[in-house]
Amino acid sequence: MTFNFAIFRLMPGDATKMIIDPLFTPEAKAELERQFGLDDPPFVQYVKYMSSLSKFDLGLSFSTRRPVVNELKERLPNTAVLFLASFTLTTIIGISVGVYTASKRGTFADNFVTGAGLFAYAVPSFWIQLLLLMLFGYYIPILPIHGTMSAPPPDGFFLQFLDRIHHLILPAGSNVIVAFGSWALYTRNTMLEALGQDYIVTARAKGLPENTVLRHHALRSVLPPIVTLIFGALPGMVSGAVITETIFSWHGVGKYLMDAVMMQDYPAAQGAFYLIALAVVVCNLVADIVYGIVDPRIRVGEGGAK
Amino acid sequence: MSKINTQTEISAPTFWEQYKRKPLGMVGLVIVLVYVFVALFAPFLTPYNPKQILLADRIAAPVWFRSVVPQYNDAPSTIRTTLGPDEWAVREATGGKLVAEELEGNAISVIEFDPVARDEGISEDGVDTQEYGYYEEEPAKSAVVLSYPIAYNFSPPNTFGATFNYWIDASSDSKTELECVIETPEGKGYSLWARSYTGAISSQPARVDSRDLTLKQRLGLTIFDDPAPTIFSSKGDYRLVLRATSTSGEEPTRVYISNTEFYIPGKIHGLLGADHMGADLWTQLIYGTRISLSIGLSAAGISVAVGTAVGIICGYLGGVVDEFMMRVVDVLMAIPTLPVLIILGAILGKSVWNIVLLISAFAWMGTARLVRSQTLSLRERVFVEAAKASGASDAYVMLVHILPNVLPLVFAGMVLRIPAAILTEASLSFLGLGDPRVATWGRILHNARGFGAFTTLAWWWLVPPGLAITFLSLAFVFIGNTVNEILNPRYRERS
Repeated sequence: MTFNFAIFRLMPGDATKMIIDPLFTPEAKAELERQFGLDDPPFVQYVKYMSSLSKFDLGLSFSTRRPVVNELKERLPNTAVLFLASFTLTTIIGISVGVYTASKRGTFADNFVTGAGLFAYAVPSFWIQLLLLMLFGYYIPILPIHGTMSAPPPDGFFLQFLDRIHHLILPAGSNVIVAFGSWALYTRNTMLEALGQDYIVTARAKGLPENTVLRHHALRSVLPPIVTLIFGALPGMVSGAVITETIFSWHGVGKYLMDAVMMQDYPAAQGAFYLIALAVVVCNLVADIVYGIVDPRIRVGEGGAK
Repeated sequence: MSKINTQTEISAPTFWEQYKRKPLGMVGLVIVLVYVFVALFAPFLTPYNPKQILLADRIAAPVWFRSVVPQYNDAPSTIRTTLGPDEWAVREATGGKLVAEELEGNAISVIEFDPVARDEGISEDGVDTQEYGYYEEEPAKSAVVLSYPIAYNFSPPNTFGATFNYWIDASSDSKTELECVIETPEGKGYSLWARSYTGAISSQPARVDSRDLTLKQRLGLTIFDDPAPTIFSSKGDYRLVLRATSTSGEEPTRVYISNTEFYIPGKIHGLLGADHMGADLWTQLIYGTRISLSIGLSAAGISVAVGTAVGIICGYLGGVVDEFMMRVVDVLMAIPTLPVLIILGAILGKSVWNIVLLISAFAWMGTARLVRSQTLSLRERVFVEAAKASGASDAYVMLVHILPNVLPLVFAGMVLRIPAAILTEASLSFLGLGDPRVATWGRILHNARGFGAFTTLAWWWLVPPGLAITFLSLAFVFIGNTVNEILNPRYRERS
């Protein structure tokens, strides 16, 4: 899978034409091309590119003349923080709401979540984010409207930390609001299926408290499919991250990609995309590991539980 | 797995019978029909076209704000008048008159001064022809003063403007002065523009814009003052005055004035207000329906067609082809679509057709998997074996026996793919990668974000496109689920 990604890269050379300013003199143009290694034939470029890729050398950015790797290094932690915060909160809230509504079938909460799940499928998430931005950034200006921290940042580690959290609330929170509905709905449906099984009846007949039945018997059995689905949705979440970062001017990889594309900064776009693809591969690996943890049946050396 | 009811026994009338009984499906259908109606009759639902700009002030509020929001009670709506010879009232005409003429089908106003036979001895009387401001008449000259009443019953506007073209036919010893003045109800005059000429001149455009620095200086205002609120500070009858004075020579002096327009952009406009260029948002919204519907339908159609073809071929033929294509599907499914679309979209260029192709290129995999698994079970069925035994070719079996049996699945899948395509297109346009020449919902949101909807709190710019997308997507989800329930009962449990 990892290698497939590397192959699926855009061939360098596609974009060489659009980078060079038509106003440049031929000499300046040639010099620039030489500097960026654009005068080689495409195949040589490709081989060079692949070899430098393995050394994490992503070339120079056309617009800032800095190594793309440095720029990405600066931004990666920001993206990771935003992504992890949104991801963790979304899954935790989504699954707990799903379990809760499954146990309260037919109530208002249940109907609400069912509706929210359907809504989440149909509503453009960036629009919800824009509305939240307008509401909390402008109408009731209690949250910062852009960036990862205040400029200049406040003194002291603790205050800086708080400042970053303050900046994180809107982007991460809006991600959660947009996404948790579908997780809740899926969890609810699989939970309802599981709750109809014989072993649940047995567990209840044993006189176990309802909470135990829900958490240890039903949820345990539906976790594997939920985890599969969650990690299967990772590419989609990465796509969403690009939009989120753009909307909230979050100093991250996704916004870097957008800016690079807008400025036709080809090495930068390429580097950012490479990093995003890499992240998805890593996430898939993590998914396999997590899957092993939640599903005892595929854990080596422990035999079939249940 | 083997007991799937795939016989397409459901005929069209029966399908409709069943469909009618599903309330959600009907709601979805009605919503989609409304959108289709709007898309088809867009030109009849709005007097403007989506590219028309300067219909109102930038980020004008919707018209109904007037009765809802106190602040907008007396906000100005757009005043735009074209002034021809019929509109002007002659206030004063000494030694001249107003004549209506026609030039290339347009009515133009001509101010004609009587020729004066001048004595050699009379010299120039030292009038400073460059004098600015509202000045007393020189009695010796001929003067024609035109005025046009402007009833202004609103709160002060943000800007105003006036434009006209003029040219002068005269003998070389004549002097002509032109001046444009606005008179307030209180009787105060603001001279906006004045020029003086000796002899004849060719066609010149004159443009007065309240935001011009020269105008502010002329009126004695600082650069931070605004001429529009200063001049239109009260309600009442204003007057636009065009004053022409001339000392004619032997020939009659004729001043031609064409394309005269006076313009106060409204702070409120239309059903949904105006964007940063003064373009009508309602118009953009309903024209956006066309784009969204056609992109959604065509992208879903293409991707499902490709997916079905791949699925049937892989499932039926199996072997290396199957193995290879399924790996391709795996890879494509693991790729985050949007970053790829962003990069490819930027490279391929911004056009609607490119977007359709790109969306389809990354949306066929799900259908391919579904159809493949269905085909795998279908090809083991007796009727396929019978067809093969009687000598049918692979292509024939795939087309005649497999395809009709996967169609119900594919059809529902296609309807459910439409909202995804619509949302992807909206995201791309929102990020600024859409076709810049067409108004789409995503583009409206892109403009709203980029050109000040937030700082002006113009929620009416932000909310409608999102609602439009949401309702259309929801409608297709309803329809898709209903179709699924009827045609593919096995999938009833899913969503």
